[in-house]
Amino acid sequence: MKLYRMGAVTERVLRQLWHDRRVLVFMLMLPAIAMLLFGYSFSGDITDVRVAFIDEDGTDLTESILESLQEDEAFNVTVLESVDDPERLLLEEGYQAVIRIPDKFTSLYYAHFAMGVATSAQGTIDLTIDESDPQVAATIRMGLADAMMDLGEGGPVEVETRELYGVEVRFIDSFAPAIMGFVVSLISIVLTLLSIVREKVDGTFSRIWVSPVRRAEFILGYVIAFGLIALVQSLVVLTIGKTVFDIVINGSIFWAFGCTILFAVGSVGLGTLLSALAQTESQAIIFFPLVILPSVLLSGMMWPIQAIPRLLRPLTYVVPLTYSNRLMRAVMVKGLAPWQEPVGFIGVLVFVILTIALASVVLRQSAGERE
Amino acid sequence: MSNSTAIFQADAVSKMFGDLWAVDRVTLGIPRGEIYGLVGPSGSGKTTLIRMLCGLALPTGGTAKLLGSSMPSERRAVEHRFGYMPQERAVYRDLSIAENLLFFGQIYGMSRARIAERTRELLDLMKLSDRGKQRADRLSGGEKQRLSLACSLLHEPEALLLDEPTIGLDPSLRREFWDHFHQLNAAGRTILLTTHYLNEAEWCDRVGLMQQGRMIAEGTPDDLKAEATTRSGQARPDMEEVFLILTQESVAGGVS
Repeated sequence: MKLYRMGAVTERVLRQLWHDRRVLVFMLMLPAIAMLLFGYSFSGDITDVRVAFIDEDGTDLTESILESLQEDEAFNVTVLESVDDPERLLLEEGYQAVIRIPDKFTSLYYAHFAMGVATSAQGTIDLTIDESDPQVAATIRMGLADAMMDLGEGGPVEVETRELYGVEVRFIDSFAPAIMGFVVSLISIVLTLLSIVREKVDGTFSRIWVSPVRRAEFILGYVIAFGLIALVQSLVVLTIGKTVFDIVINGSIFWAFGCTILFAVGSVGLGTLLSALAQTESQAIIFFPLVILPSVLLSGMMWPIQAIPRLLRPLTYVVPLTYSNRLMRAVMVKGLAPWQEPVGFIGVLVFVILTIALASVVLRQSAGERE
Repeated sequence: MSNSTAIFQADAVSKMFGDLWAVDRVTLGIPRGEIYGLVGPSGSGKTTLIRMLCGLALPTGGTAKLLGSSMPSERRAVEHRFGYMPQERAVYRDLSIAENLLFFGQIYGMSRARIAERTRELLDLMKLSDRGKQRADRLSGGEKQRLSLACSLLHEPEALLLDEPTIGLDPSLRREFWDHFHQLNAAGRTILLTTHYLNEAEWCDRVGLMQQGRMIAEGTPDDLKAEATTRSGQARPDMEEVFLILTQESVAGGVS
């Protein structure tokens, strides 16, 4: 194996990308767009839910419930004097929930607290809720429960929470590592696939295989080129994540880049592998949805694996991005070293070894059944 | 025809695709310094024969040797010494002329200085001087073909395998290409090429006529003309007539 030949392949791939300005822009814009688009639309923080609050009791306790709700950014609380028909407020006034605290709530609440389970009398809050959007409804329930917990010593149950790994992790914080893996692998797979199919169509492949270039040099040349690109793309994602969304990175940036590049290597292998199944560029394009859809739907990028139907869950284990997501989140959000997330780490390693080995076999065939 | 000094040598070489013999027991020996033309209708096995000789296709039977090395098993020994020009233009569309030459020079281990020197020489020769920065996909068909030939010549190979080097070129450009071939030949290069243009067969030292995977006639252009006259009685046939007479004879000869 000769470094200069590997370097020649790397230099050539980078020059080709540099000349194709559309591809270059696409490569740099995709991580930026993906991060901005997903970041804003999936930021997960529901805000400005209109809530009507009616306090018929009017004590310090109910006052502090109101304050808690008002402090919650999810709600836009309107205090009303009284209500006859909460349903009408939902239907005609556009409220998504009506919270009514009945008279004597406070005394019943303390009575229950004082007498323990011995009494059936307890404070009741009357919640009328618009269930048409389950996510909004869940936010309201959670907000109200939070407000009750904020009462602290008054509550019958004390939940003591220990926040592990990411303290105050928002959706976007755990989304950035996923988007990094997704964008980097997508670009590496698609561009490797197209580039190699093009070499076949144009005949430059034949020139390469009669030359002294070895298969390993060819693959590694591609790997280094796309590894460098992966690094740039990761920088774009992290820069936007940091400046626009102020994401929290608990782990080491070094491991984050290392793991992204590792995943890019496997993706180059997968792209090479797929190139064996396509004779023309239009055939190659058929593979794009095949790569993108499972990654988006089954990798735990947008929603947790636990939200995927049990029947489909085994499929998530053949989607490479599943392992990348686990690994990247462990490294960036939890602040662990790669080997402390063995499933993700080994999954990505197996992906790399498998695809590169198979890519090498596939190239031997493309090279004209030599040996 | 087993010639120990042969640059290109095939001994009963065959290639099967599916249940079709693309090349059927072809024997061939081309000594140093010759321009050898393979002619024959499309699908007659010319390209497959060339690909076996440069190690891109594995023979199903027989042996193919290039510069004395068995192909593809011993190709490493000779990989620096031959140049191959595929039928497709085989240049990177999205690279400039100079970048294409740079890459193909680098993979042969040439220094950047040497590549720059050779690039100047070849672009002068191919009348592409001052065009080095132009992208290959902006070139005309003829220019692209000249670049493709330049890519095959860059590392100064002693043996050249050119697959349809003049296809699609206008007659004057084809003449120019043949001037290059004769110059290269005069400088000691051995050339094996395929062509569709039968008048080009006249310009070869020897011609092999292929049909349905078999070599049906071989010899100098004059030999083939004499053969055609013997078979058909037609006096002084041109190459096109030679081709028609010899291929018809072969089909009529009835070996399917």
